[in-house]
Amino acid sequence: MELKEIKSKIKKMKSDINEKNENDQKRVSPLGVAMKMGTEFVAAVFVASFIGIYIDKWLETTPLFILIFFVVGSAAGILNVVRSSKMINKD
Amino acid sequence: MANPMQQFEVKTIGPKIEIGNFDVSFTNSSLFMVITVVIISMFFVISTQKKSLVPSRLQLLSEMAYEFVAKMIAETAGSKARPFFPFILTLFLFILFSNMIGMIPYSFTTTSHIIVTFTLAFFIFIGVTVIGFVKHGLGYLKLFVPSGVPIVLLPIIVVIEIISYLSRPISLSVRLFANMMAGHTMLKVFGGFVISLGLVGGWLPLGFSVALTGLEILVAFLQAYVFAILTCIYLNDAINLHH
Repeated sequence: MELKEIKSKIKKMKSDINEKNENDQKRVSPLGVAMKMGTEFVAAVFVASFIGIYIDKWLETTPLFILIFFVVGSAAGILNVVRSSKMINKD
Repeated sequence: MANPMQQFEVKTIGPKIEIGNFDVSFTNSSLFMVITVVIISMFFVISTQKKSLVPSRLQLLSEMAYEFVAKMIAETAGSKARPFFPFILTLFLFILFSNMIGMIPYSFTTTSHIIVTFTLAFFIFIGVTVIGFVKHGLGYLKLFVPSGVPIVLLPIIVVIEIISYLSRPISLSVRLFANMMAGHTMLKVFGGFVISLGLVGGWLPLGFSVALTGLEILVAFLQAYVFAILTCIYLNDAINLHH
């Protein structure tokens, strides 16, 4: 009987610790989350614009592709942000 | 007043060495990378020397580091990512230790340079892409074609997905570099205020400096963790291929 009691006590303590850890992680994250979203968005726009500039240089069509890729890059940035926020919600 | 950006200056130590057009001299940045690697190696060698069932404090620390990373990989990338454990552990510890060593006054933070973090992120990017193609062949390209998209929209979606994929190393490296550089600059600026305001008004920025140091230590850990966990997530995409 006593053993069972101890077992349930240990189980309860362990779940308490886990809960506490999870809460700790959640408390830390907002700053990291904000940083993450910002860079995710900017990085996509940056990469896309870069591709646009180089296609324009190559085909001599300035400013056609930079304009197209800027818009596409913004879309990709939003996709990145949506994805990472989905991931955060899942945690 | 001291320039807050001066701390990021890369200086050569010893003779200037050039191979072809590349300057490969030993710099203070390289010195601190070597120090980081030596400290990590020593930490593991010393802490695992006396293996006892009831661990000493050092042994407990190294076991914690091991378990922390093992758990992180298991949770984000699953059991198939097990073979990449040594890589993730090395990556995590390297970033963590160079961030933490950077917190010591008069030391140099290697991760505050974009070229260092970008090199790390770029190798991860290439590695993950290669792993994906090796495991799935051309099927890895399915990563860029989400299911259930109308054919009319497909060309745009594929371009967007590819850009999103290409932006990974940029966001990964910029995040780490920007956090480290911003934090260290801020510390230096507030430190400068303490001197220039003197005994009368210097107490407030001094308090801020103390608080920021605490925050920076948190950021140093958090950024190492974020870098490692995102690597795990990218690995998960490459190994398990589901979007």
